[in-house]
Amino acid sequence: MSDLVQKNRVAPNNQRGPAARRADFDDLHTEPMHIQMGPSHPAMHGTVKIELDLEGEEVIDADVQIGYLHRGFEKECETGFLYQNIPYTDRLNYSSPVLNNVGYCLAVEKLFGITTPPRCQFIRVIGGELSRMADHMLALGASAMELAAFTPMLYLLEARELLLDQIDAICGARVTTNFTRIGGTLDLPEGFAAFAVERLDRALRLTADADKLLTDNPIFRERMQGTGRMAGKDLLAWGVTGPVLRAGGVPYDVRRATPYLIYGDLDFDIPIGEHGDNFDRYLVRMEEIRQSCRIVKQCLERLPDGPVNSDDRRVKWPPKRKVFGQMEELIDQFKLVLEGGYPPAGEVYHAVEGANGEVGFYIVSDGSGRAWKMRCRSPSFSNMSPLKHMLIGGQLADVVPTFGMMNMIGGECDR
Amino acid sequence: MAIGVVTVKRPPERWSSSQPYFAILKGLGVSIRHFLHNLLLFARGQQDFTVHFPEQRLVQPPAMRGMPVLVQMDNGKERCVACGMCEWACPTNCISIFPAETNDEVERYPEVFDIDMSRCMFCGFCEEACPEEAIVMSRQIEIASYSRRGSLWHKQDLLVPVAELKTRLDHLRRQYEH
Amino acid sequence: MSTEAPPSDAEKPQLSPLMVKVNARLAPLILEHREFRGDDRIHVARENILAVAGVLRDDPELAFDLLLDVTAIDYYGQPDDFELRREVWDRDHVTMRRLPRRRNLMALPEKGPHPRFAVVYHLISTSHLHRLRIKCRVPEDDPRIASLTPVWPGANWLERETWDLYGIRFEGHPDLRRIYLYDEFEGHPLRKDYGKLDEQPIQAYVGPGAKEPRRPE
Repeated sequence: MSDLVQKNRVAPNNQRGPAARRADFDDLHTEPMHIQMGPSHPAMHGTVKIELDLEGEEVIDADVQIGYLHRGFEKECETGFLYQNIPYTDRLNYSSPVLNNVGYCLAVEKLFGITTPPRCQFIRVIGGELSRMADHMLALGASAMELAAFTPMLYLLEARELLLDQIDAICGARVTTNFTRIGGTLDLPEGFAAFAVERLDRALRLTADADKLLTDNPIFRERMQGTGRMAGKDLLAWGVTGPVLRAGGVPYDVRRATPYLIYGDLDFDIPIGEHGDNFDRYLVRMEEIRQSCRIVKQCLERLPDGPVNSDDRRVKWPPKRKVFGQMEELIDQFKLVLEGGYPPAGEVYHAVEGANGEVGFYIVSDGSGRAWKMRCRSPSFSNMSPLKHMLIGGQLADVVPTFGMMNMIGGECDR
Repeated sequence: MAIGVVTVKRPPERWSSSQPYFAILKGLGVSIRHFLHNLLLFARGQQDFTVHFPEQRLVQPPAMRGMPVLVQMDNGKERCVACGMCEWACPTNCISIFPAETNDEVERYPEVFDIDMSRCMFCGFCEEACPEEAIVMSRQIEIASYSRRGSLWHKQDLLVPVAELKTRLDHLRRQYEH
Repeated sequence: MSTEAPPSDAEKPQLSPLMVKVNARLAPLILEHREFRGDDRIHVARENILAVAGVLRDDPELAFDLLLDVTAIDYYGQPDDFELRREVWDRDHVTMRRLPRRRNLMALPEKGPHPRFAVVYHLISTSHLHRLRIKCRVPEDDPRIASLTPVWPGANWLERETWDLYGIRFEGHPDLRRIYLYDEFEGHPLRKDYGKLDEQPIQAYVGPGAKEPRRPE
């Protein structure tokens, strides 16, 4: 018996495949325990099922099953006008909806060949970075709560509320933002800069409190350090992007690789990790919150005046005042609403850095107001695919922090 | 002005960071500071964060998008001319309009104007598409009902006098000026 | 309606530096190269996709180490990319205005004789920071293509998704199951002939607690 125990102890975790691990059970007259985590499990934020094969506490096989939130986003987008799809993109990653709005509108503008005015680009960056901070706060707070640290979640959610207040002031909704328009965006309200800076400072103070509670906490570190580890080379091969990839030491960030909007002119840092484990993912996210705050403050300082909409008549709905009074603008308005504006036929792919990685929209247009094919490259989907290999060899208890740090968002993963 | 790369640093493994008791004391310190802060504000009658709904309400920004309603003019009639633009622009097809004609100054009006609030997703495209400023997003958010039929709002339920919508109309004129 | 003319052969722009490199390595395998709004894409015969992918990943000058996306397009038998046949589609604009109001009853164009599907791959190199798109046409009666899982393991789930939604089989895939939908689902929902409002038969529940089938009386 002690031999067996010995044999199982020395099991080099990731090196041996499930089949070899199963063979160990031949002597034991038993079989691995098969448990189902999810689809509605308290530690699974997001509706996903993980079928685990356990030997004692050790995971020897895992099967991640998604699709519980599949709503046919792409099918729906193929039947609607291009402008009608903007609110649907809110529902992809619902903890950072503005980033999806911006990504989608940039893709459509690339198809049309439109450049938006500078003020619009600044506002998009402000909204996007606020959204990114909010997303990271939710990710960190939720995974801390799953590791039984309840207080940091309250502070982080309070900080998140302060950020959502700013988004609310711009677009009138906290989650279902509908922030951008094709070729433009909603304008900032009066006195936004002072309001935003005050809220940002409060949010940062709360984040620092959560940081104080978590980062140096021995229990938290023991659960996070060394679990869910994957090297940067493997992460790349599996198509992982975002904070998870950067924690593995690969400085790939779309904002830096192929800068869009005004990111090339801004001054900020891309945090990367060294070890590629959950604790690095946590630290990278924490640092990104601070960097995003830097970006928002820079943008607020340098925000130019001017129009927020491009004056391209193919996409821009005419000003309301003229619609009420003038015939040509009224006709324009009718044509744009009823036919959706005609892009040139062609296909584009445009990627932005979402909160979890590269959010790309691939639009194939046949020259009509509706997209022939509309595809969202969602980071959560690609990030979830190697999850199995991060779990195998670890303990059952490591599933929770690893899954929490992957930060799967069901709406984006299942679309 | 450049995008740099920075490596995150782990806090060093000190002796104190391996002791759970220190972490507990530190955590208690942070929590007690928050507690005293909130208690002080409560004693002063100010509140820092929590809003006790429904006795207290948040001050909503003018941009807020609540339920879409129809603008009722001073003569009691709706401003809508049943052109059907909102019906087209609506991504979820939640509006249905049947137009009719009268002998008034404005010859068209919607005989039926229904919004299925169980489908509406508050995107605000109806108000943006409207060429008459006749449908706007109000601040009404309490629209739950006990049955599906209850979430179908008819024209008479949707009419709101223009005076009550002044904030939103002002905001709209500012927002869509350019 | 757009004022931009489709690119003709005479005024074709210069090749991008990336395409010069790709052409130097892969010229015999590339059927066609197109460029639109700065996005380079190459068309490859489906038999060659594995060889092309291997070169793109391993060549140090190209080094496409990150497979971003695998998806498919249902062209419904149209010849090829839409930008070359604008006039036909302009005619559709006229008919579109007379279409019924409900968007989900949109009419489809007539199915043509050409290969129906195209499988699309998006690649990026994290060292050289260039992007490339690969397209392979796949016919309807034999919707198969080689799996790229040996080259990029990340293709695993993306190909499962493409199989689920478009019904294209990836040969050599280790685990080609449906990923979003249940196994009993009939058809592949992102194909153009699957209507948005099409319904599926209700599946009887089998499993613990299922009732005995009722006997005929």
